[in-house]
Amino acid sequence: MTAAEVREHIDPIRHEYADPRSLVLPALKFAQTRDGYLSEENLEAVAEATGYSRAYVESVASFYDRLYLTPVGDRVVSVCVTLSCMLRGSDEIMAALAEHLDVGPHGGTSPDGRITLQESQCLGACDKGACIQVDAENTVGPLTPAEAVALVDELREAETPAERWR
Amino acid sequence: MPVVNSVYRHREAGSPLVTLAEYEAAGGYRALRKALLEMPADDVMYQFHRSGLRGRGGAGFPMGRKASFLPKDSPLPSYVVCNGDESEPGTFKDREILEFNPFQLLEGIVLAAYAVDCHQTYIYVRGEYEHQARVLDSALRQARAAGYVGDDIAGSGYACNVTVYRGAGAYICGEETALLESLEGKRGQPRLKPPFPAVAGLYGSPTLINNVETLAALPPIVDKGADWYLSMGTEKSPGTKAFSISGHVMRPGNYEIVLGDTTLRELVYDLAGGLREGREFKAVWIGGSSTPVMGADKLDTPLDYEAIAEAGSALGSGGCIVMDDSGCIVRASLRLAHFYRHESCGKCSPCREGTNWMEKILQRMVDGDARMEDLEMLESLFGRISGRTLCPLADGAIAPIKSAINLFRDDFVRVIENGSPRPEPMLEAVGV
Amino acid sequence: MSDAPAPKPPPTDLVRFTLNGRHVYAKPGSMLVDAAAEVGVEIPVFCYEPRLGGPIGACRMCLVEVEGMRGLQTACSTPVAPEMVVHTDNAAAKDAQDGVLELLLANHPLDCPVCDKGGECPLQNHTMKFGPGRTRFVEPKRHFPKPLNLSTVVALDRERCITCFRCVRFSQDVAEDGQLTFQERGAGTEVATFTGEPYEGRFTGNIIDLCPVGALTSIPYRFVSRPWDIKNTPSICGTCPAGCNVDITQRDGEIKRVTGRAEPNYAVEEGWICDRGRWGYPAAWSAGRITNALVRGEDGLLHEVPLEEAVDRAAFILQRSAATGVLVGTDATVEDGHLSAKLAEALAGGRVGRLGIPDRPHLTALRNLPRAELGEIDQADVVAVVGGDLGNQHPIVELRLRKLLRRRGTLLVAGVRPQMIAPRATESVRTAPGRLVDALDAVERVLESGSRPILIWDEADLANDDAAAARLAATAEAAGARVIELSAHVNAHGLRALGLPTGNILDDIEAKRVATLLAVHADPTEFAGSTEWDAALDQLNDIIVVATHRSHITERADVVLPALMKQEIEGVLVSMTGRAQRLRPGSDGPEGAAAAWEILIGLSHRVGKPFPWRTPAQTFASVAAGYPAFAGLTYQAIGTEGAPIGDADVIPVDDTDPPRPLGEGLPLVLTTEIFGDATSWRSDALASLRQQAGLRLSPGEARRQTVTDGDVVVVASPHGSCALTVSVDERLPDGAAFVMTGPPGAGTHALLGADFGPVNVRIGA
Ligand SMILES: Cc1cc2nc3c(=O)[nH]c(=O)nc-3n(C[C@H](O)[C@H](O)[C@H](O)COP(=O)(O)O)c2cc1C
Ligand code: SF4
Ligand code: FES
Repeated sequence: MTAAEVREHIDPIRHEYADPRSLVLPALKFAQTRDGYLSEENLEAVAEATGYSRAYVESVASFYDRLYLTPVGDRVVSVCVTLSCMLRGSDEIMAALAEHLDVGPHGGTSPDGRITLQESQCLGACDKGACIQVDAENTVGPLTPAEAVALVDELREAETPAERWR
Repeated sequence: MPVVNSVYRHREAGSPLVTLAEYEAAGGYRALRKALLEMPADDVMYQFHRSGLRGRGGAGFPMGRKASFLPKDSPLPSYVVCNGDESEPGTFKDREILEFNPFQLLEGIVLAAYAVDCHQTYIYVRGEYEHQARVLDSALRQARAAGYVGDDIAGSGYACNVTVYRGAGAYICGEETALLESLEGKRGQPRLKPPFPAVAGLYGSPTLINNVETLAALPPIVDKGADWYLSMGTEKSPGTKAFSISGHVMRPGNYEIVLGDTTLRELVYDLAGGLREGREFKAVWIGGSSTPVMGADKLDTPLDYEAIAEAGSALGSGGCIVMDDSGCIVRASLRLAHFYRHESCGKCSPCREGTNWMEKILQRMVDGDARMEDLEMLESLFGRISGRTLCPLADGAIAPIKSAINLFRDDFVRVIENGSPRPEPMLEAVGV
Repeated sequence: MSDAPAPKPPPTDLVRFTLNGRHVYAKPGSMLVDAAAEVGVEIPVFCYEPRLGGPIGACRMCLVEVEGMRGLQTACSTPVAPEMVVHTDNAAAKDAQDGVLELLLANHPLDCPVCDKGGECPLQNHTMKFGPGRTRFVEPKRHFPKPLNLSTVVALDRERCITCFRCVRFSQDVAEDGQLTFQERGAGTEVATFTGEPYEGRFTGNIIDLCPVGALTSIPYRFVSRPWDIKNTPSICGTCPAGCNVDITQRDGEIKRVTGRAEPNYAVEEGWICDRGRWGYPAAWSAGRITNALVRGEDGLLHEVPLEEAVDRAAFILQRSAATGVLVGTDATVEDGHLSAKLAEALAGGRVGRLGIPDRPHLTALRNLPRAELGEIDQADVVAVVGGDLGNQHPIVELRLRKLLRRRGTLLVAGVRPQMIAPRATESVRTAPGRLVDALDAVERVLESGSRPILIWDEADLANDDAAAARLAATAEAAGARVIELSAHVNAHGLRALGLPTGNILDDIEAKRVATLLAVHADPTEFAGSTEWDAALDQLNDIIVVATHRSHITERADVVLPALMKQEIEGVLVSMTGRAQRLRPGSDGPEGAAAAWEILIGLSHRVGKPFPWRTPAQTFASVAAGYPAFAGLTYQAIGTEGAPIGDADVIPVDDTDPPRPLGEGLPLVLTTEIFGDATSWRSDALASLRQQAGLRLSPGEARRQTVTDGDVVVVASPHGSCALTVSVDERLPDGAAFVMTGPPGAGTHALLGADFGPVNVRIGA
């Protein structure tokens, strides 16, 4: 992502904020939609487009769970592991997916680079517990471990969207 | 046990209200027209005040009173900010408004803005609600096109913009000052109070912050009048409240009830379909995970602020997590401790270090590596943290665990002695 | 506890409250921590540091009980209120203090014996005073691979960090360099730079002083000393004319460290110092340091001799000489200047002069305006900076101006150089060389707009611009502005106040009126006019040099008397704002060397005209008696905080008008970058930061001159020439040659005349 592209994204909303610092978060979220994470280059683009230092924008990014500073898979699958979902089997889903994707018990990126599995805190979908979320878009549940595995397999086969909001 | 769908108007309508036509057909924007065209801002404010509507984000502070704290003569512009960060474990009531009834929130936020003479508002939506944020974006576009947001709203001459701002994954950004920091493009770390946001909030300006459900409750209040609202609920808990219920119940979901008219038992057994065959009720975190846990003896508590407080917990956000006797209270406590450790922002020392330490001790208990003294140590740790932190997150971390130890001490002792085997989760299909 | 009677009748402008059972008074609005400290009660803090901005309430170390308020309150953010009842030492407060410490220590290594901070560590001290009865944390502590070098001078030991926010707030909010931040959150929060890049800047060392634990340490100081065998001496930095107050740490007589004052001087530096001042001290033992006296022998070579012998030899030469010029350099103290003048008086045909920018009459009007201290910038609403390059040459001033902008004050910067603060300034006007007048409309508008305006003007730039100076003085006076002069040299203000002229000695040598030169901390071959001086030195019979480092002139001297450096002596320097401040010896210096004042007094005895003073204090008393500007000042009155010298109308001693530009070609703009001065080049601690001499051109100008980055060119003025490497700098305007001075010997001084007059240069192969 280039600074110009980031600027193109934030310029139309600039007037909505009394302080341009407010644009840092929207810029960061946008900057990772192509590579799926905030590479050094993406961070630099955000810094340049917003006028804040690279260290600053990196610091902001590192505070939030859904801004990624290291490479992640084509899709990010979050398994909610908080209490409601735990009571409904999220640990079992996590274990099944971790094994199926050949990643560590708390997540990681599958060797083919397609899927990053991660634990997430309450997704606000406890009624669908145990649930999983694909990027930040689709939250599905309730799922059994087998259904979760099937869903991830489908995801693996599917095309990666051009823009990833996660 | 009457169900009144006041913030969940779409339930009344029987389908999502995601186009303007649908919302208007369901009575939408009547309130806004009435307020902007017929009522001085002070009268609108008076209706808020009079309705007794309490904040639905957790603390239950009267909405009208908070709005009245904004200085009238500030040289700075004022802002209204809607808290749609909804990250409290067990809470998903705002999600339903955002997804199925977004116009009501937009109508509510403009009403609030009109009352406090503000022209720019923000809705902060948690990062994980990207789908809901898009629904809201679409509603906003429609509302703008129809003149319900923007300059000269409904021909009244009043101008108000609404901006949807997306979070990026941090529970603490639900805390109002952390939210403001995040909205200002910073790390979401709470600010010292005072000054309170009403005096110096967003960009240092007077700012009214309310929860999604709080703001969504405003259109019916203005439309039907505060007295209508007051006619429901109890004296100190008027109106309706959405409860999210989840965990070991057959029909998890959101239920909007009239405060005080429904008991916890009715919520669990009638509305949420009760427990699995053969299971006993064990525990409930009634107002979200940050509230003290209660046992079966509290099932007959009426659902309103005072009654729940009397029963030893708090209504909080209305995120009700139920656990049956298949669950282990120590394991559940550990899971919550993990949540708070993960979500502590790290700004103040007692919370940063304390949540980290608490999780470690509970982990040892669950792993069977703890000694009895650890229980006392854990309890003494609570005293060293609670009430001493910058924001209430740590108190929220302690409340469920401290109460669990008080209520289920024997379970802790047993787990310390034997560890905690992983229980069978409930995998039964749920009816959403 | 019984209520002790109030010691004095209640002062009406103070607030009365009760502290631990005692009635006490405080300034209204002051925070409880400060109010308590005023009456001798310590409330422990970590994150509270008002110099970084408002309280943030992060560490929770300062919790106290205030009766009637729910829970405990952070004393750092709770203002005193009348009749408030506060407990800082009851059970609740004590448990809170103990509790926070226990929690902080849960993840903090207990390695005080090997930690550089051990013995002067707030965490260790608080733990001892307010600290945990026990620590019960049995889990493995956070662990990081051993310290990370944030730069070549600052190390970060992440496991010791208590997340107090001080360092990152300094970087983000005070220096505003944006480089140091927190990464991650919660228990995983870490101090870091962008993907591990070094933290480099001009003020980075302040984070070491700020860190309340041993997480940030000075690499040159690592493992050098233990707090119990060191001694701290309050002194003055003395590297630039701003006059920052510092503490010098010594062990066994050797300087080990320079830090900001533990008790900041709010009138001057506010406790912050720049990295050059902090890490310049190793210049004291750089390769060129003169540790023994030298006398030229029959063989024509310099030979080491005992100091006494060299002084005898010098005295012999002076006595024999019919006409001696005593030249006082820019590092000389007020005492040095005075003694030099007195010695010149005592010698046959003696005369005295100083190196520096001529005290031109057209500057008098500016100098006679009411002065402001740096601290007074904090009360100003508008500030205009005219000329100069303060980010490089008076760096500490920039921090005050950043603060002004954070307070939403107005800042105008005008001049030919790209001021580092310009991008932040309210307004910035770029003028052509010698054309400061073009900015004066803006300056007038801005100064007029303020109710408490301050004008900051640059001595070097205005010395050559009489038109601008005259109008500027009138403007400032009309606007009621107070002024701060950016002097070009350390102690220029003090030496000027002694009435020492410039230029005379060179003229006298050239006119053969002087045959012997005594140079006191003066090396004219590393100064404007070096070409002329070079030639002049050839005409002399004898050269006696009092110097700290070997240089061109010491190589040509007949006698070299090794002098102590500023951190090794007693003496007074007058800062550019006219504040007399005391240097105090923070280390012994080489055994074979002596303070210039001592050498000068020694010479007076040996030439048979003994001065009546035996100490710098006595010498200074004589200064105070002899010069109206110093009237009433004594060492004691100056103390550790300094005192302003008098406003006695300045009478210029050099009654020359500014010369007209000489030569053809591009106007020359000379600048010394912060790490491009002699101190930086002599200190090995600053080795990786040193800035080379060079020629900077705007992209357009480089094209016009047909040169590019990296070319080595000869820059020639009517006075002399030197070879420099070109770098192209987008921040520069066309139409000027920006020359950066560099290490001693770089030769850039040859381009200027001794009168500092404006010159044009040609750029050639
Ligand atoms: C740790 C923490 C998390 C919170 N999270 C939320 C949240 O997700 N949504 C919300 O509306 N309020 C949340 N709150 C409460 C807000 O700080 C604030 O009180 C609320 O938004 C005010 O709105 P209301 O008066 O309409 O309830 C949280 C508070 C704390 C301390
Ligand atoms: S490194 Fe030192 S100054 Fe910086 S946050 Fe940690 S403890 Fe505070
Ligand atoms: S000093 Fe008060 S909270 Fe840190």
